[in-house]
Amino acid sequence: MSEVESKQAQPMLSLRDIRKSYVMGDQVVNALDGVDIDIYPGEFVAIMGPSGSGKSTLMHIIGCLDAPSSGSYLLDGIEVAEMDDYELANVRNKKIGFVFQGFNLLARTSAQQNVELPLVYGRRKDRAERAIAALEKVGLGNRLDHKPNQLSGGQQQRVAIARALASDPLIILADEPTGNLASLQSEEIMQIFQELNDEGITIVMVTHEPDIGKHCKRTVTIKDGRLLRDELVENRVMAADVLVEMRQEHDLLHTA
Amino acid sequence: MNIFECMRVAIRGLISNKMRTMLTMLGIIIGVAVTILVVAIGEGASARVQQTVADLGTNLLTIWNGPPSMHIAPAAALAASSGTSATSSNGVPVPPQAPNRLTLQQAEFIQQNFKQTVAAVSPIIRGNVQIRMGGTNATTNLQGVETTYPFVNNASVELGSFFTQSDVDGNAKVCVVGETVVNNMTGSPYTNVLGRSIYINKQEFKILGVLTPKGTGAWGQDQDDVILCPITTAMHRILHRNLTVDFMGVRCTSVKMMPLATQQIASYLRVEHHLQPPFPQNDDFEIHSATEILQRQQSITGTMTTLLSIVAVISLVVGGIGIMNIMLVSVTERTREIGIRKAIGATPRDILLQFLIESSTISLLGGIIGIALGVTGAVILAKVGGWNVIVDPSSVVAALVVSAGVGVFFGIYPASKAAGLHPIEALRFE
Ligand SMILES: Nc1ncnc2c1ncn2[C@@H]1O[C@H](COP(=O)(O)OP(=O)(O)O)[C@@H](O)[C@H]1O
Ligand SMILES: [Mg+2]
Repeated sequence: MSEVESKQAQPMLSLRDIRKSYVMGDQVVNALDGVDIDIYPGEFVAIMGPSGSGKSTLMHIIGCLDAPSSGSYLLDGIEVAEMDDYELANVRNKKIGFVFQGFNLLARTSAQQNVELPLVYGRRKDRAERAIAALEKVGLGNRLDHKPNQLSGGQQQRVAIARALASDPLIILADEPTGNLASLQSEEIMQIFQELNDEGITIVMVTHEPDIGKHCKRTVTIKDGRLLRDELVENRVMAADVLVEMRQEHDLLHTA
Repeated sequence: MNIFECMRVAIRGLISNKMRTMLTMLGIIIGVAVTILVVAIGEGASARVQQTVADLGTNLLTIWNGPPSMHIAPAAALAASSGTSATSSNGVPVPPQAPNRLTLQQAEFIQQNFKQTVAAVSPIIRGNVQIRMGGTNATTNLQGVETTYPFVNNASVELGSFFTQSDVDGNAKVCVVGETVVNNMTGSPYTNVLGRSIYINKQEFKILGVLTPKGTGAWGQDQDDVILCPITTAMHRILHRNLTVDFMGVRCTSVKMMPLATQQIASYLRVEHHLQPPFPQNDDFEIHSATEILQRQQSITGTMTTLLSIVAVISLVVGGIGIMNIMLVSVTERTREIGIRKAIGATPRDILLQFLIESSTISLLGGIIGIALGVTGAVILAKVGGWNVIVDPSSVVAALVVSAGVGVFFGIYPASKAAGLHPIEALRFE
């Protein structure tokens, strides 16, 4: 980590003593219990941990979708707690691309229109070109007019990634993006993320699968709302290699 | 997101839910349709009355039988008097009548003695009669009149001539017919019927002339469905009501003389009918001027407009509440969608606008459908019912503005509810 830190002076995200508690009746759940993380431009971070450990809660705070109960969060050097609803909407629109486990595409709306949506809210003029370029980047240039129910889970998630990419965000946040997908499709999604990261886009994703975590450059493990481990990935898995293997196996099965 | 895109999204949503959309719009549709239709009828009626008054001239007075309490409107009085004669000839007990009736002698007296104020008097007796010509039968309105009729009532004959004083003196069986009668009897309004015979209640009359068409009257009646004959003939040979008349038209020498003429005629009739004060409560006659009819019609229109406005407001409010209800359902159904939109950068104002545009699109569409129905109804009334209706463009514009306004007003609460949703809670909503 110190190796990364030395490369970049200013972190892109800086969380200090972030806490989030939910009151359920007379019970208080501390979903996050004092988290400190710095993430620098160009990083590819996996947030890992068992179910209920607070991963989603953390991602929502990083994604400016939810506010922490206390603590400081600097995004690109700006304190998020001081932003109003309109500034938060603008940050979500321009600086962050969020990918959900359940895709969260608008039903009965074509892939292209889904990808254009953030550009519409960002009042971008060139949204058709940008949307088409983003869909081509995730390999769906030939599915522009397909509705979500006409696409496979993996394809829907790629539309969601294209939507997250469309407005050139600083960072892509993905909460269990492969959680609803079969292994081949998961691998395809990880390949896209690795390519994007190679192009310089910062990515933070949540996963509870160690295999998926191995595709990233750094893993942060949390448990019961606290940071447990923060380590660089050794023997990083490249999705492109895995996919070649998987396809060979697939071909063997079918020729045999 | 711009307005047109919001509208497109809204309309797409509405089309995918046709039945619900229709039911939601119903209140607005009814409110707007009724408003458009009734305003069109009101405008048409008042234009017609103004036209009638202009046709008759403003210096015309009419004198009617009966105390004021018996009269709702002159038209109602006419219906009552013709109904009375019908029942009496059937031997059914006659309902109580006004004690004194206007008579021919009184008409003659007014004509002769108030020369300074009165130019001419046209007493009229009327009743429904059976007519036959060739093999064709019909009923029509027979009016027994004096030779003063054309002058007093701004009427004229288009073909042939009016009957003369000697026809009146001799109870002659001659008549002048309206164009509708010609049409009903011969199948065409242009048939030459001069000199031909027509049977009125089985008695043969000779047709002397055809009246210049007058069209539809102030109360929607066909003014050309009429036969005029000498008043004496009508009294003695057809209607058998000796010397009493139904009403008189009085053409004054000028508009300025009308108050004096009214006063002179009233004083004369009070003496003649042996009436006791107080007046005008104890009068058994009524004197109206054409301008009074105009005023009366305007006050009826005013009352109608008030009632209509209440109906319209109620149905628009009901419609608006329906829209609010459906928008609340829509916000709940689309909570996840709202969450998604917020997660990718929609501001509260974007969401607010989206739902406001949606609600006003519903009500605007309802308004447009309502206008279409109202105008169609007006056209049908005009074509089929022969009503005079005028669809005022400003009422159409007002209906559009009001219906859009209803959508905005009743959309504010659901839309601000949507705009205030928390993104994560909205996304978690099932
Ligand atoms: N809206 C909420 N209300 C109450 N408790 C919540 C809410 N959201 C999350 N929690 C609780 O916070 C803890 C962390 O949840 P989450 O961040 O979703 O975990 P993970 O994503 O790691 O599975 C869990 O115990 C969960 O029950
Ligand atoms: Mg989670």
